[in-house]
Formats: sequence, structure tokens, C-alpha cells
Amino acid sequence: MAERDEGKVADGVGKNEEPESRPERGAGVGGNNGLIVLKDVTKRFAEQVVLDGLSLAIEKGKTTVVIGPSGCGKTVLLKHMILLHRPNGGEIYFKGQRIDDVDDEALNKVRAHFGYLFQEGALFDSLSVAENVMFPVRQHCRITKWSEVEELVKQKLTMVGLNGFQDFYPANLSGGQRKRVALARAIAMGPEVILYDEPTTGLDPIRADIINELILKLEGELGVTSVAVTHDMKSAYKIADRIVMLHHGKIIADGDAEHIRNHPNTIVQQFIKGEVSKKDLEQLRSASAGNSVHHSSEG
Amino acid sequence: MIGVLGSNTVMGVYNAGQFGRFAWRSMAASARSIGMRETYPLIWTQMWIIGVRSVPVMLITGAFVGMTLAYGSYDQLAGMGLEEHLGVLINVSVVKELGPVLAAVMLAGRVGGALTAELGTMKVTEQIDAIESMGTDPVRYIVAPRLLACLLLTPALIVYADLLGIWGGWYMSVVELEINAGAYWSFSAFGIEMWDVVCGLIKGLFFAGAIAVISCYKGFHCREGAHGVGQACTEAFVASFISILMIDFALVVIFKAIYSTFWPVQSLLG
Repeated sequence: MAERDEGKVADGVGKNEEPESRPERGAGVGGNNGLIVLKDVTKRFAEQVVLDGLSLAIEKGKTTVVIGPSGCGKTVLLKHMILLHRPNGGEIYFKGQRIDDVDDEALNKVRAHFGYLFQEGALFDSLSVAENVMFPVRQHCRITKWSEVEELVKQKLTMVGLNGFQDFYPANLSGGQRKRVALARAIAMGPEVILYDEPTTGLDPIRADIINELILKLEGELGVTSVAVTHDMKSAYKIADRIVMLHHGKIIADGDAEHIRNHPNTIVQQFIKGEVSKKDLEQLRSASAGNSVHHSSEG
Repeated sequence: MIGVLGSNTVMGVYNAGQFGRFAWRSMAASARSIGMRETYPLIWTQMWIIGVRSVPVMLITGAFVGMTLAYGSYDQLAGMGLEEHLGVLINVSVVKELGPVLAAVMLAGRVGGALTAELGTMKVTEQIDAIESMGTDPVRYIVAPRLLACLLLTPALIVYADLLGIWGGWYMSVVELEINAGAYWSFSAFGIEMWDVVCGLIKGLFFAGAIAVISCYKGFHCREGAHGVGQACTEAFVASFISILMIDFALVVIFKAIYSTFWPVQSLLG
């Protein structure tokens, strides 16, 4: 399947500017334009600042991919969009309504608009595949006909290619199958937004590609807005309408795949090419040399 | 030094506040769940796991408490010629103190440890986040059924422990140590009031609440990894055990004050 980089981003901040000089798109979020908007969001865990005054607007109907090195705050950012983490500072909006200061009941209603695919699937061990998929339906709908629920489960499992696995338990599934069941659960209520946390991590290239195809299929069939965090660049290029790179809790690159590929920032280039910096490499080699001298002197 | 003391104090107050808030949310969610029929299957499941599967442990605990008390106390009472009063000593101890407390300690180990490990694993594998992300309150879905099951069944389990404690005391005293059965039971009936039984059962309710809330709280707030889950289980048991002893002491004082206040009135009525 072709990559999703269909030319330069066409909206708002940063259009028609040279790559070297144009500001990053997320940096200019000032109003509530976007389905999900984060304004100056800061998150700290003890003394560690994970998100540092971050602003980002997620466009409706598009797939936004957040990339960045491990531990840079990608998952924390994703969890802020659904308020699984509360920010220490800043504001979060969904459809123009501020959601970071609402009570739990109102927040649960907002969350019903979201589907969330967790990194390891987060399937409930004690429930079968069918029970996992129907979980949100049972929580939010008054069920009058179980046959309708079973039909819904069948439909969602068919979408992820796992119809017939209804009576299996998560322990009996492979990593890829677990992620697909988790995806079926995430779309069970027909969400407007799907949040993907490392959708392809831990999968072999073929199964990772199956997940990528599923994400594209869901976007095409359901017209959902998607936000994915990943450090798998192949996956990012394939599914993204827009790529945002995080580094030390800030956005350092924001644009389509072409923009990211040609980004002048060295950190961005090192990350997308998977290259270690010369400085880090020298430090690594000197440390290795030191260790070998130490071992030989001991021997 | 002062800085460390200050930060520890702040952390202690923060943790106490967090626990208080969790306990309040758990009780509020449990109260709401009573009126929600869709939560009944979850409560039945937990009643099976927490209650029914704990019965053998409770029976064994009760029986050995009764037998140990009888055997250990016999020599002292026999030395004073009061061995026929052994029934009062055993049965009052079992019904008022040892039955409820030891049953609660066993529950803290068996049920509390399992609750913390289960919820801790759910926390580490993001299953609790998954429940929350689907717009469901995890306290209502996970904690409330467990708390209600503990509250409903712990007094029943204490009754089992009491009955086997009484049986164990009778077996050791009457069958093994050959105390006169009629005297044994008549002194027991004279020494035990319904008040004693009720006190034991009320204690069970408080112990159950403490075990369930502490165990669920530790599971919800456990650290990442196998070590985090293991540590949470240990902390849950220690905290539950200390709470049981503290609650027991507080309730003994309160019950005694209530009894002393109303005893003269009861005598006048009688």
C-alpha cells in the first residue's frame, strides 16, 4: 500500500514555507481548532518533566502519528488526550469543550467517543475474546437482545480477521492476535477517535503490516480520527497524514512524511534513520574499551 | 535531616489523603452498586471466590483455636478446681475475640493477598487503564463487588469459625480431657450473651471493610513489574493485619462503653 504522504500539509501554521525556516505546526496552536486540542500541557512525575508546555491540535478525520525516542513522553501524551493522566498545567479540549477540569461522570461520557489500543492489548485475562469485545457495550448499553450483541462481536472480529475466536481466552492468543482483539474492542462502540499506543511494537514485520493495514482499513471504513504513537518509522510513514516528533517533552518536528524526511534538525534525522550520534558512539566505544582493558588486567 | 523529615511528612499526609479518597470512593461506589442489578453477577462471582472458597480455611482456623485454648487453659483452671468453667473461657474468647480476629487475619492473607496480586497485575498490564478508557469507573467495576462480597460474607465466615471453635473447645474439653458435658455447657450458656456474638459479627464487618479497601488500594497503586506486585501484596497484608488489631482495640473500647452505659438500664427493665 502506498504511503500516506500526500504532499505538504495544507492548513494553518507553517504552510508554503521553506523547511529550514518554517515553524512546527503544533507550536502555533492558539485556539480550539481541532477535534482534540492540548494547550501548554505540562506533566511532571516527581521532579521529572515529561511534557513541557506542549501544544497540539489533532485534526478531525486524519491520522496523526507521534514519534520519538523511548521515554520521551509519547504514551503520556496519548493518555492525556483521554485524561488517563491529568496534566499539572495547561488545558485539554475535545470538540471545543474543555475536558481536563470536568468531573468523572462527564469525563466517562467523553471517553465513550474514544477507542484506545493499549501497547500490550490490555485484554481482560478472565474474560473470553467475545466478552472482551462486548465489554464496552455491556457497560454503556441496555441490552435487550443478546443475539444483537453477538452479531456485533462477530462483525467487529470479522473486521480484524478473527471471527471464530469468540470463545478463546487471551492466554491462548499470539501477540498479534491479542492486539487485533484489542482493536476489535476499541472499535466496538463505533468511536470517533482511536488512540493507538505502539500498535506494531513486539510484532514481526508481517504482523506489524497487518496491523497497519487494519488501521488504514478502519480509517477508510469508519472515517475515524486516529492518533498513533510509535517509534516504528515504516509504520509511521505508512499510516500517517501527519507526523509529530517529541523530544524532551516538546514538539521538535511537525508535518507530513515528506516534511519529516527532509527536516533539518539533526535529532530528527538521527531518529528517523535509526542512527546513533557520533558523540554517543564515541562514548560507547570508549566505555567498551575501558571495560576490555579492565577485564584483561583482571585476567 | 529536617528536609527529609519534612518531605516524609508531606508524603505521609499525601498518601493518607489519597487512601482516604480511595476509601470514600469505594464505599460510595459500593452503595450505588447495591441498587444496580447489572453488578449482581460480579458480586456473586466475588462472593464465590472470597466467601465460599474461604470456608475450609475458616473451619480449620476455628477448630484449632478452640482446641488450643482448651488444652492450654486446662491445667491452670484444674489447679484451682475450676475446670468446669473451661467452656466460658473458651467460648467467650472464641466468639468475642479470637474467632473474629484470627478469621480476619486468615482472610487478609488468603483474600487480601489475592486481591492485591490480581489488581496489581491488572494495573501493571494496563487493564485498569483500559476499563477507565472505555468510560467505566474502575472503582465501581473492580472494587465495589469485592468490597461488597467481603462485607456480606466475612460475618458469615466468622460464624463458621466460631462454630468450629466451640466444637474444638468441646471436643478437647469433654471428649479428651473428660470434663462433665452438662457443667461445661451450662457454664458456657451462663457466661455468653447475645451481645458477645453481635460484637464479634460487627467486628467482622469492620475487618472486612479494612481488608478489602486496603488490598484494593495497594493493588491500584502498585509499582511496575513483578517486584512491584510482590511488594504491594506484602504491604497490603501488613497494613491489613495492623488495621485489624487497631480496629479490634478501638471496637473493644467502644463496645465496652456501650455495654456499661446500657447494662444498668437492662437490669432495671429485667
